[in-house]
Amino acid sequence: MIRFEHVAKRYPGGIQALSDVNFDLHKGELAFLTGHSGAGKSTLLRLIALLERPSRGQVLFDGRNVGKLARRHIPYLRRRIGVIFQDHRLLSDKKVFDNVALPLMIAGVSYSEIRRRVRAALDKVGLLDKENMYPPMLSGGQQQRVGIARAIIGKPPLLLADEPTGNLDPEMSADLMNYFLQLNEVGVTVLIASHDLELIRQLGRRVLVLKNGAMIDDLPSRHQPTVSDHGQS
Amino acid sequence: MEALPGAAGLRAWARRHAYSFLSSLGALTRQPIASSMTLIVLAVALTLPTALHVALDNVRAISQSWERLDTLSVFLTADIDENEARRMGSRLTLWEEIAAIDPISPEQGLADVTGQLNLGNVSEELASALPENPLPWVLEITPEDDTVLTALVDRLEREAGVSSVVVDLKWLERLDAMVAVVGQLVLLLAALFAVGVAFIVANTIRMDIQNRREEIEVMSLVGATPPFIRRPFLYTGLWYGLIGGTLAWLIVWFGLIALEGPMGELSGSYNADFTLSPPSMEIAALLIAGSGLFGVLGSWLVVNQHLRRINP
Repeated sequence: MIRFEHVAKRYPGGIQALSDVNFDLHKGELAFLTGHSGAGKSTLLRLIALLERPSRGQVLFDGRNVGKLARRHIPYLRRRIGVIFQDHRLLSDKKVFDNVALPLMIAGVSYSEIRRRVRAALDKVGLLDKENMYPPMLSGGQQQRVGIARAIIGKPPLLLADEPTGNLDPEMSADLMNYFLQLNEVGVTVLIASHDLELIRQLGRRVLVLKNGAMIDDLPSRHQPTVSDHGQS
Repeated sequence: MEALPGAAGLRAWARRHAYSFLSSLGALTRQPIASSMTLIVLAVALTLPTALHVALDNVRAISQSWERLDTLSVFLTADIDENEARRMGSRLTLWEEIAAIDPISPEQGLADVTGQLNLGNVSEELASALPENPLPWVLEITPEDDTVLTALVDRLEREAGVSSVVVDLKWLERLDAMVAVVGQLVLLLAALFAVGVAFIVANTIRMDIQNRREEIEVMSLVGATPPFIRRPFLYTGLWYGLIGGTLAWLIVWFGLIALEGPMGELSGSYNADFTLSPPSMEIAALLIAGSGLFGVLGSWLVVNQHLRRINP
């Protein structure tokens, strides 16, 4: 689904954020992206969502070279990617309902459909009773879950999360990771940037390690899908 | 798993537009003080050229009505008597530039002059004091509406028996020239203020964009197209322009009402019947639509500049 071929990103001012990064992320996979802060995790995610263009190499999304995508096609690429940020990026002057509904409003979905789907998404993250609240009234973990609801409302095939557990306590972090695992089980490809090494090791999924802008390790998943796994929900 | 490539079709389009429309109204009402200040600046700025245009229109109308009333006085030479004067008068009525001719005898002329000078009883004394009436026969000519007066004057002066043709039109010509100058000024001012409107709106929208920077970024992140992000701001610019133009028109309208009383007194003192005519519907429409257009233009400028920064 995603393939990086010799990707380099140099910011104006000479900062080399990524150099010669190569990896493949297959459809339906869940992987962690880890490394020290400043290792280039955010840059890598930003290249996929085309918030930045690579300086060299190719970023392929479903076989298409994202870096060469015309500006007018960018919005349609972003609609196929759900992005979750450490700082939530919620609109504080809009209700939770409207925050989650935003991608559907943009796509021009009918109001009754929006209503149905927003409710379903909020239900999934356990915040159905908070739909009329404003984000600043919620706890950090709840805000992050609103961000997840917004990211998944459009049913994107790919979910990117940038330090989603950065501001949360361990219990909430584990909870949150469970949401991602559940989403992955229904077929969403997930890439999570995180430096919560403890949590990552517990889950035993594929781990990509960045250091100073280079991909230094790619640990395969120890996770074996079992019948009982699929039986859970 | 269905993704969201963008619901197509007319209904989706209409829904997206409805969203932009409502969101633009929200922008105006969210900061009522800031937006009303902008509106007042716009209204005042637009009032100036509009008021000038209305004033000019009225002066033009008055000067035209004066021109139509104006007559030429053809002074005949002293040796022409009543018969000859009347014969000449009936001959000139055949000219197509001339609408009517009124021959004035020297006696009547003298009476008019003394009457106009308001000399009262003195006039009779004056008339009797003169050894003989110094005035010649005069033909008072009312030209047709579309006559070129200077050409008619030339032609009359070439006639035998005509001593001089008096047209007191110099001041009217000057007025016309002045009206033309001011008319040009109105056009220049209108152009200048149109640009002003665009930039006032641009500046206001720029601040609005600053305040909503995060919202714009988030919308862009979740896949809003640039036209979708741009549209509420264009609507906001349109509202500013339309409302500002309408306010300017109202200000001019109320100004005219306020001037009505003094104007009546002024025209009464001249024994005339001037009334101020309000701006024509065309001008009102031009003002409002024009300022709306330049409002959109102004917001287009800033929004595009900003969007370029978000989408690399």
